[in-house]
Amino acid sequence: MKRFYHVVAIPIRIVLNNFGDYNETGMMYVLKENEEKVKEAVKKNPFTPVDLVQPLCIRANQGDTVEILFENKIHYATGMHFQEADYDVLNSDGANVGFNPNTLAEPGEKILYRLQFNHEGVSIFTDLGNPDSSDEGTSINGLFGCLFIEKRGSWWTDPETGGPLNSGMFADVHHPFAPSFREYAFIFHDEMSTKDITGNRPLDPVTNQERESTHAISYRYEPEQNRKRLIEEGVVCPDCEGEEVHHDSWVFGDPATPIFRGYRGDPAKYRLVHAGVKETHVFHYHAHSFFRDPLNTDSDVFDAISVSPQSWYTIDTLYGLGSLVGAFGDFIIHCHLYPHFGVGMWAINRVFDTLQDGSQCYPNGVPIKALQPLPDRPCPPAPTKERPGFPNFIPGKVGCKAPRPPLGVVGGRGLTELERNAAVPTARPGAVFTDPCIIEENPAVQEINVSLIELPLVYNRQGWHDPKGRIYVRDEDLEDVLAGRKEPEPLILHMNAGTCLSVNFTNRLPEVASGDAFQLVTRTYETSFHVHFVKFDVLVSDGANVGWNYDSSVLPGETIRYEYFADVELKAWFFHDHLFASYHQQHGVFGSTVVHGRFSKVLDPKTGEEVEAGAQVTVTHPLIPDYRDFALMVHDFALLFDKDGCPLNPPEFPGSQDDPGLFAVNYKNEPLQFRLGKDCDPAYSFSSFVNDDPVTPILHCYEGDPIRIRLLQGAQEESHSFNVHGLRWKKERPDIETEFQSQEHIGISESFTFDMEVPRSGDYLWTFETEEDLWNGCWGLIRAYDEEVDFLIPLEDRPSPPKRTKPLPVCTGNPPPPAKKVEVDAPLNAPVKVFHIAAFHVPIRYSKWGEQDPYGIIFALKEDMDEILSGKKEPVPLILRANQGDVVEVHLTSFLESEKFPFPDGIWPYPPVKEQAFYPPSVRISLHPQLIQYDVKSSAGETVGFNPDQTAGPGETVTYRWYVDVAVGACGMWDMADIRNHRSLGTYGTFIAESRGTQILNPKTRTPAVITSENVILNHPFSPDRREFVLVMYDGARLVDRDGCVIIDPVDGILTDVDPDELDDLVDTYDNGSRGFNYRTERLINRLNEHPILKDLFSSKVHGDPSTPVFEAYPGDPITIRLVNPSERRRAHTFHLHGHYWNTDDKDIFSQVKSIEDHVVLGHARDLQLHYGAGSFFNFPGDYMYRSGNIRWDIEQGMWGIIRVHKNKQVHLLPLKNSNAKLN
Amino acid sequence: MEQDIRLTEISLPSVNDIHDEALINEFVAGIGKNVLIMTPSFPFVFIGRIVEVVGDAVVVDVKVTTIGELENRLWYIHAHQIEVFYIEQKGMPRIPELRDDI
Amino acid sequence: MSNEKKDNEKKVDEKRVMDDERFFDGMIRINIANVEDQLFDELNGMIGKSILVVTNSDQLNLFGQTFRPIFCGTIIRVTQGDVTLFPVNIKMINAPFYQFPTPLSIPLEKISHFSPDFDCNDRIPLT
Repeated sequence: MKRFYHVVAIPIRIVLNNFGDYNETGMMYVLKENEEKVKEAVKKNPFTPVDLVQPLCIRANQGDTVEILFENKIHYATGMHFQEADYDVLNSDGANVGFNPNTLAEPGEKILYRLQFNHEGVSIFTDLGNPDSSDEGTSINGLFGCLFIEKRGSWWTDPETGGPLNSGMFADVHHPFAPSFREYAFIFHDEMSTKDITGNRPLDPVTNQERESTHAISYRYEPEQNRKRLIEEGVVCPDCEGEEVHHDSWVFGDPATPIFRGYRGDPAKYRLVHAGVKETHVFHYHAHSFFRDPLNTDSDVFDAISVSPQSWYTIDTLYGLGSLVGAFGDFIIHCHLYPHFGVGMWAINRVFDTLQDGSQCYPNGVPIKALQPLPDRPCPPAPTKERPGFPNFIPGKVGCKAPRPPLGVVGGRGLTELERNAAVPTARPGAVFTDPCIIEENPAVQEINVSLIELPLVYNRQGWHDPKGRIYVRDEDLEDVLAGRKEPEPLILHMNAGTCLSVNFTNRLPEVASGDAFQLVTRTYETSFHVHFVKFDVLVSDGANVGWNYDSSVLPGETIRYEYFADVELKAWFFHDHLFASYHQQHGVFGSTVVHGRFSKVLDPKTGEEVEAGAQVTVTHPLIPDYRDFALMVHDFALLFDKDGCPLNPPEFPGSQDDPGLFAVNYKNEPLQFRLGKDCDPAYSFSSFVNDDPVTPILHCYEGDPIRIRLLQGAQEESHSFNVHGLRWKKERPDIETEFQSQEHIGISESFTFDMEVPRSGDYLWTFETEEDLWNGCWGLIRAYDEEVDFLIPLEDRPSPPKRTKPLPVCTGNPPPPAKKVEVDAPLNAPVKVFHIAAFHVPIRYSKWGEQDPYGIIFALKEDMDEILSGKKEPVPLILRANQGDVVEVHLTSFLESEKFPFPDGIWPYPPVKEQAFYPPSVRISLHPQLIQYDVKSSAGETVGFNPDQTAGPGETVTYRWYVDVAVGACGMWDMADIRNHRSLGTYGTFIAESRGTQILNPKTRTPAVITSENVILNHPFSPDRREFVLVMYDGARLVDRDGCVIIDPVDGILTDVDPDELDDLVDTYDNGSRGFNYRTERLINRLNEHPILKDLFSSKVHGDPSTPVFEAYPGDPITIRLVNPSERRRAHTFHLHGHYWNTDDKDIFSQVKSIEDHVVLGHARDLQLHYGAGSFFNFPGDYMYRSGNIRWDIEQGMWGIIRVHKNKQVHLLPLKNSNAKLN
Repeated sequence: MEQDIRLTEISLPSVNDIHDEALINEFVAGIGKNVLIMTPSFPFVFIGRIVEVVGDAVVVDVKVTTIGELENRLWYIHAHQIEVFYIEQKGMPRIPELRDDI
Repeated sequence: MSNEKKDNEKKVDEKRVMDDERFFDGMIRINIANVEDQLFDELNGMIGKSILVVTNSDQLNLFGQTFRPIFCGTIIRVTQGDVTLFPVNIKMINAPFYQFPTPLSIPLEKISHFSPDFDCNDRIPLT
């Protein structure tokens, strides 16, 4: 089917909420037919949000051809670049890249884009005419939209009228062979510059400082700070504090952010889009869950998911609105990053139980708009006086805080008559209007008593502590914890699937939290137990205060009862407070419950007794293999003081949300600055021989044990990258046809389970590995014993470990000797590939504009060292290749010299990390690979725990032996001898595990290629010839310009001016550093200085090709991109390639197809097999840009390049064998 | 007698049986020849010489498969599990060799 | 063709004679020369034509390269057990026109569906 849309880009004033916060330089895409209507409406309503001012959402079906006539009414060239679409890049790219014709539209001009959509999902469209990251940019001001690609044969209607719909964020989508569903656009965006109604920068009334940056959903946000003013002025709820009523509609009425409405049981899909520019947000949906990959019924189940700029997900609500148990009420959906949540990034999913025809009103008199029932579903009952339906049976008072739930609070109230009519017959505390446990006939019942207490928490041996630690404990453990007999750790409870869980929660916190350098005095007088994943009655057991729901929390000294049902093995569900979370979650108010399969028994790993709680347990089961279960909860904004009481990394003013504090895992950290040993050599920072075991969790098991790691983040705002060295797991857990990983990005409230076995004894490093996290102590060990120890029971269904013959190793203060035997488990006749590698200093030229690193350190084949040093060969990140079935022998020699490092004390002024300290550079080196097999005691490429030394000193050579058992594709590789002084200088590369029988060829000559090339042909007798392009995405580099001055990126690379007032707050530590691909970068500022025309920034006609790799192919050439990020910062990137797409799981053909890679951060390693080959479905020739999706600050800082698909035969590029391309 | 439409007339042997048996014949005819077999079950590929046919299992002396550890041994492959195959014929292309050294 | 069949049959018969040592009732030998096999006949009529064939499984895996079992090629040989295509193109998602180095034989019972007279150079979406 062919569709046509006429879209106009216009400047428009955007008012983001009812308090009048606005952006006068806003821009939007709008359908031509609405252009005048929108402008009129805004003119008539300059201070209130206008409905028509919303991101443009249009729709098409899979297989449709869509023509978009784009008209530009912005005062410079702009365009519409579509992701996920098939189009001719020479006329419909919506950009001006390489040698392509310019497909932007000049001001006042029109251009026609022709697109085809061949896979279901979301096609985000954004502008590339102005990639400026400052407040003058386009995306940042709202110029973005989406095209939703529906199933073939779909049509859509307006949910209010039932009539046709040309555009709009809400639609009911219908299909002859599938159920109708509610489609909701959920578009995160950030950093939009806003003013308050008086025309000034918005202030926080509590701190009197500038409010956090704008974080919004579909051009709307509802900050706590505005609502708090009404409390302060006495207009509403005079006894309220602020955060606890932030989302309360009884006090404030409904928010300006979207309210997604539906009826109980309605199928619903959220099109989750991040159209913003900088941060990775976490989408969390209360009480519901969804598959990470909606096309894969074996995919992992989530209820919170991270999304990076210009990424998208389809959130297909499992069981429909109200989830499995048929709950109804207000379900909040929000970005879980607390500062964003606080500044207004939240919305409500309102699920009605009664029919809404427009005649009803909310308790505050606002009419409830009509909502058409879905045509193929039963009509909900009409409201009556006895049963008025949600929210009109709730006995709240407008202007006051929501009431407490009936029956829930111990010693509280019973049901009113209206409540009794609305309740289920089995109404009981915690389950009044929905019975979550009624699904299972005779569920197992478990009752748990939990309290929230305050006590000082000590985080490490140096005495870093939180005097106001606040943690959940089981009532049974209360005395032991307070007396110091039991070490505080996050509360990790255990239950089996099919259990009905009752929680009696008691608030034992003091009513007022005292102030200090980090926070102001706050009256945190009510708290709760809010849970993820499990099924419950949201009105009374949400542990929150949302919309028109009850306030299901309690005052100090009171107890409330909640009830939940864990229907299936749901992995680990997160719990935390929801009333004052922004204040105290970072003090430790978080925990988790692990749901095991039915018939599991959870035991204490030391004594074998059955237990209910514990971060490290042993689980037995009659049918499936027994396993060890480990929970790790990472945490940032840890507000710590040192042993002398001085605050560590305090913010500029108390109450600031600007990344205060430090980091921890399970309330512990082991900062590397304290692990230098007497020789002050960073190479042994992880060695327990030199520095003793870390105080962070050491996870114990025996050799061969299966283990499960439950990975969660407790607090508060930042992304982390979890890596395990030497082990790997399958990505989509229940599904076997899925790829291996050894890394996962995590944002707050996400939960992952990693299932694996520990094949060999030794110490395995687990870490949150980005520079700042690891430096500040987020690491620990998995220790697999080869012989019995008395503090660990063996697993019952495995052979007993041999009796102990040698004593356990102890700290000696001295570095360990190297491994005596370097062996790997591999077949005797496996072919062996030997590599001699040198690590040495060499200046690296990063671009043709003069950026360079005079202090570069690289890995290279020893045979190339001389040519690189003399300048005959360019330094590139080391790429090693081997085939499945190969044994790889690496001989690594260090040629490092201490005088050649820039900062002899290891304190880097730039790129900085929090809590800098003395850490002199190491001249030792090592090389650690991901995903392939090796014995960590000899070949992990790091000196960890009680493992032997695997680093090489100057002039020394260390040997590793690895085995490629599975063709895992791209693996990151990096040095572990000095993570502080080496990484920014280039000590990383890639290892590629190819399929058996692969031969690599030079694309110019088809002769065998040099193994370390970034661009080769993969030749295999049973596969088509493929081009392999290696992209090593890096950040955190420290470069100097051609005059030798340090380049402070991103600030030095921002295209337009930066307000000097904003400068200090603008950049977080982890945004610092230069960035790009393969030791190259193409910063746009150089191009702008030469030729100050924004629309020509990516044009090779004007500026020549970029310094970053330009990969070449012919139309239809199969292409595999090996994408790794081995370094170095915590800001997650999106990777996007214009005009092409691939399976998000390369071992599963049925996985979702996308043109973006989400949250790329240290340890990310993926293989992208482009569908249909170069030029995608139509094999169109042209220049296709590959780039980061982050406008702040990646694109202008040089993280982009080109894949060039040639129409004409090139002398330097031989066509592939079997090629179908018709070349000139 | 008029045929009752609720009842089905079948032929014995059925078409399926004929096809299944004929497939076995193919492999019997290929004893001694090289074969390439693809199957949806791990390890997905077998290349080797057909040694004999036992019932409906093809016995192959497997020289090459996806995983080195599973090579150089006899595999009894259920003929009716084979998705796609090629028995080397004179006059037709040979099955390519997989080299283990780059 | 039928001679070959009879020869094969004789071989099978000989094997079965050896199995006769094991006693069991009801070993049936059937002459199938008169039984209709319409599919076989139809395919025979298509020798020389090109067809698109999809086989039963979700996906196949060639040394790490996963693909849906979608094959397009010219029929060169048909038996009652299988149909052989050569040249044959495997519609891999990253290389939809990949010509496989050898002929490929597809057991008739593994064919999910096929369509005759299919131009293998046609572009079709594969997901």
